[in-house]
Amino acid sequence: MQSTISSILSEEDGCMLSYILRRLSHTVLVIIAVSLIIFFSIRLTGDPVSIMFGAGEPSQQAIDELTAKLGLDKPVWEQYFIFMKDLLMLDFGTSYRSNSPVLDLLLERAWPTIALALGGMSVALTIAVPIGILSAVNKGKPVDIFGRIFSLLGISFPNFWLAFMLILIFAVKLKWLPVSGFDSFSSLILPSIALGLILSGILVRLIRTSMLDVLKMQYVTTARAKGIREWLVIVRHAFRNALLPTVTFVGLQFGGLLGGAVIVEQVFSWPGIGRLIVDSINQRDYPVVQGGIIILALLMIIVNLIVDLCYSLINPKIRTGRGDN
Amino acid sequence: MTRAIDTMTTKKTSIVLQFIKDNPTGIIGLILVFSSIICAIFAPSIAPYDPGAASLGHRLDMPKWIDDTGKSQYLLGGDQVGRDLLSRIIYGARISLLVGLCGVAISLTLGTFLGIVAGYFGKWLDDLIMRLAEVQLGLPFILLAIVIMSVFGTGIEKIIVILGLTYWVSFARLIRGEILALKEQEYIQAAKAIGGTDFKIIIKHILPNVASPILVLATMCIAEFILLEASLTFLGLGVEPTVPSWGGMLADSRNYMTSAWWISVFPGIAIMLTVLGFNLLGDWLRDRLDPNMKV
Amino acid sequence: MKKYNWLTMLLVCIMLLLVACSGGTSTENGNKNNGKSSGKNPATTRGNELVVRVAGDPQNWDPIDTYLVAWSTVGTSVFEGLVSRSLDLEIQPGLAESWDYVDDKTIVFKLRQGVTFHDGEPFNAEAVKFTFDRLLGEEGQKGPQYSNYTSINRVEVTGEYEVTMHLNSIDPVLLTKLSGYGAVIVPPKYIEEHGAAYFDMNPVGTGPFKMTDYQRDKQVVIERYEDYWNKDAIKLDKVTFKVIPETATALAELQTGNIDIMTRLEVSQAPSAEDTDFITLMDVATPTAYSIRFDTSKAPVDDVRVRQAINYAIDKETIVKEILGGYGNLISSFQSELSFGYNKDLQPYPYDPEKAKKLLAEAKIAEGTTLDFFIPGTDGTFKEIAQAVAFYLEEVGLKVSINSVENTTFQSELIPNGEAGHMYKNGWGGWTLDFDNTAYLMYHEGEFWNPSYKNDEVEQLLAKERATNDSAEREKIFKELTEVLYEDATEVNLYSEVEIYAVNKRVKNFQPPHDGRFRFENVTVE
Repeated sequence: MQSTISSILSEEDGCMLSYILRRLSHTVLVIIAVSLIIFFSIRLTGDPVSIMFGAGEPSQQAIDELTAKLGLDKPVWEQYFIFMKDLLMLDFGTSYRSNSPVLDLLLERAWPTIALALGGMSVALTIAVPIGILSAVNKGKPVDIFGRIFSLLGISFPNFWLAFMLILIFAVKLKWLPVSGFDSFSSLILPSIALGLILSGILVRLIRTSMLDVLKMQYVTTARAKGIREWLVIVRHAFRNALLPTVTFVGLQFGGLLGGAVIVEQVFSWPGIGRLIVDSINQRDYPVVQGGIIILALLMIIVNLIVDLCYSLINPKIRTGRGDN
Repeated sequence: MTRAIDTMTTKKTSIVLQFIKDNPTGIIGLILVFSSIICAIFAPSIAPYDPGAASLGHRLDMPKWIDDTGKSQYLLGGDQVGRDLLSRIIYGARISLLVGLCGVAISLTLGTFLGIVAGYFGKWLDDLIMRLAEVQLGLPFILLAIVIMSVFGTGIEKIIVILGLTYWVSFARLIRGEILALKEQEYIQAAKAIGGTDFKIIIKHILPNVASPILVLATMCIAEFILLEASLTFLGLGVEPTVPSWGGMLADSRNYMTSAWWISVFPGIAIMLTVLGFNLLGDWLRDRLDPNMKV
Repeated sequence: MKKYNWLTMLLVCIMLLLVACSGGTSTENGNKNNGKSSGKNPATTRGNELVVRVAGDPQNWDPIDTYLVAWSTVGTSVFEGLVSRSLDLEIQPGLAESWDYVDDKTIVFKLRQGVTFHDGEPFNAEAVKFTFDRLLGEEGQKGPQYSNYTSINRVEVTGEYEVTMHLNSIDPVLLTKLSGYGAVIVPPKYIEEHGAAYFDMNPVGTGPFKMTDYQRDKQVVIERYEDYWNKDAIKLDKVTFKVIPETATALAELQTGNIDIMTRLEVSQAPSAEDTDFITLMDVATPTAYSIRFDTSKAPVDDVRVRQAINYAIDKETIVKEILGGYGNLISSFQSELSFGYNKDLQPYPYDPEKAKKLLAEAKIAEGTTLDFFIPGTDGTFKEIAQAVAFYLEEVGLKVSINSVENTTFQSELIPNGEAGHMYKNGWGGWTLDFDNTAYLMYHEGEFWNPSYKNDEVEQLLAKERATNDSAEREKIFKELTEVLYEDATEVNLYSEVEIYAVNKRVKNFQPPHDGRFRFENVTVE
């Protein structure tokens, strides 16, 4: 008995390991593809040298020298290989605009970016978990309908408009919260709400569906039959099991949130990575764009991989490569 | 005789009423979506003024019903160059629906195709397509937008293409997942066993089964695309200012929010109602067609 | 049925709430007698310091690596040049107490004594030489500032507090250029010790304030330098520049008292700002000019009659009055009236649609001919102007197709390559306040900003102007040049920008700068 289990486990482990290895090798390929696309497409959009000279009257010589200094005089393929070689040694290059190492720029932004992502996620969960559960439990009743409309309202406004409205109401009119910036905990609240409202719309839907699935299950009925109090049944038995898809979603969204909050960052003067990348695209600061996007892509893929692994641990069927969700 | 007819109509009415009562969100969604479609189709006959007729004299005129001076002739007021806001909002439905519908048409076609290929044929094709999806997700939407627009110029058709090309992933993933579940079903195995070609199986058995989740996702995508058009305009990548688009009106009015609130609030309400409409509709469709769907 | 009613009620409530929230703010602001809450000035609790909103920061503080006004805004308080340009745009002694032209190409500067850099290093002739060697040497040549100073051959130390500047060629605008950007004096020892990369982020100069904190895209803090040579004029302890890219957000910050001075208030925001009790608006003419430039290589605007017709067809006065709320000055050449070389005798093209139609008929332009008009997608105000222009041109039978494009592509690709349609938005800062730089870059054949315009007469005048230091002579040449350009209608000159500053009333003696270079001498707060 004991030996059969361990033999199964080791077999499983071997299978698991090769699965992880396969996925990791794919990750490398994906990163290479992402880097290729960014590297070449950003070079289609215009020349940083002319932007760096701005309103001056540069001589051709000065233009050539700066081009050479930035390494832009070499054939594009050669530039790409140099970039990838440096990348392997974790050297992301130097920003054109600020002359600082790209990694420093990204690390400067890491904390505000993560803080905002966590803040947005917390707001989303705070709103979505109760509404999602109540909606599911009271399916078809006014609570359900109200909850769903409320959650859909959050995703029915353009985010910048919502952000300005939040500022006008809570900062200018009621003076409860700071308008913008990243100075204190209270300055995190409004941007988190702006971000969280959007996420909660989707989360409510997800939690409600998962809860409905679970509530139909045998063990919930059994628990009820045992006379356990209704709210205990819901929280302890049903919600716990509905948590898995929620966690998956939160995980997947988190990666996207790190780079995807550009507009919220812009409106709230938030020094995050999204704004850095967009500013750098606008200034054609190639190294920052390349470095920033590759790091974000890597983060996203790793999160994706972890989510998949968690899934396959729970449900071995997926491991053979069948089904991400 | 008359009595019989009477009861029949009451019966009919009560069925309709019962339906409305059972599906309030769906009905609201339908009404909202339907009215924006009506606005889009019949814009020239509904709009009281020419949406392009600027006249600086009527710049930022207040809505007629709150204007005491009697200067304003526009029901919802005038915009930054003195055009009728109401007419522009009515015409704006065209742009928003165009962006939403065409964008979704592109991503749906692309995503469905790739999703079927990945899910049905599996193996290396599946790997390839799923990794392609990761590449796509790794590329920020804004970057793609700037690249396409700086190489090909701006315009509504570019916005549609960008949205379509970016959002295929959601469709592909959804469909792939559905197919993986379907493939193990007995009747598909049976169809294969009796020698049905892959093409036939896909058309006859697979597509009808994935149609409802696709429909749900598409409805919700339309809502998202309408909002993304606004976001692009906010970042300076939107349609030309002469084109009456809700997103454009909203983004360009942000500095008037407190001084001429109407040019910001009314397009905001228009966009909110339409997007809410599509979202409600999608939500309702999902409940009816595929309650286990996780979108 | 009950459920349905309940739901409708809910929706209506939400909508009403939304309208009330957004509408409520404005009616309150719009109604002065409404006993509004903005009566108390919330910024008075702040100490002897000032908070200024800026739209962006230059990312890099080395004076030879920048050309941005954002640099000057802060840099002027940290660094000083040999001469200084006052708020009234007068050239005054700066780090040089006096200067003398020995001949057209040699200037002797007598330096101020007892000046120190913020790190304690003494300022002397060696520091001046180091600065210009750096600017004109290998390091400076890779930056954008070098090209502004190519007329300088070398700087020679002729005493501990005296330098002699030798020029390659006559440069009539040299002095004003010495007041800022690349020519501000930097500390030799500090840079040698710490390296250029460190200096980028931790700049040290001789100015009235030293930079004590810089967080990219967030804020810059400068504090009073106690050993400043003119320290009695500096009353403030500290100035914080907050980076707030969105103007709507910046106004909200001002209305809640978190910032004292907001730069670049949009015309559209002026009414809301004015309605707050403790905010006052200040406006100031700037050297920035805006025009609609023609690409003269493209038919039909290759015909001077068409270009003139378009000039007559657009009612610039109404545009400035209505869209800019009067915050703009009409101009007749592509420079602001502050600029040396502005021809006051030349009146802008009057609004005369009949004449425009006649000229178009003469040029045999068919009704409904379409012109491509390119504008950057980020400029809200110009979008409105472009639509008004389209409206005016339609009145004389021309169709305009407005293309709003991504900003950087527009400036770095489309304009220089002649791909910006028949006409495009052209804006120019003119920081030297002299037509020389602008005219040369705009009309000299083959310049980056001049994709297609060629005119021999203009070339001759430009060459003649650059060959003399004599202002009377130069003024005469510019008069002629502006007339030639006016007749040739190279662009529709729209207006020179009037920048609006919104300022908290607790700030006293603040004078908004014409050129974006903040000066805090004598500024106090309550």
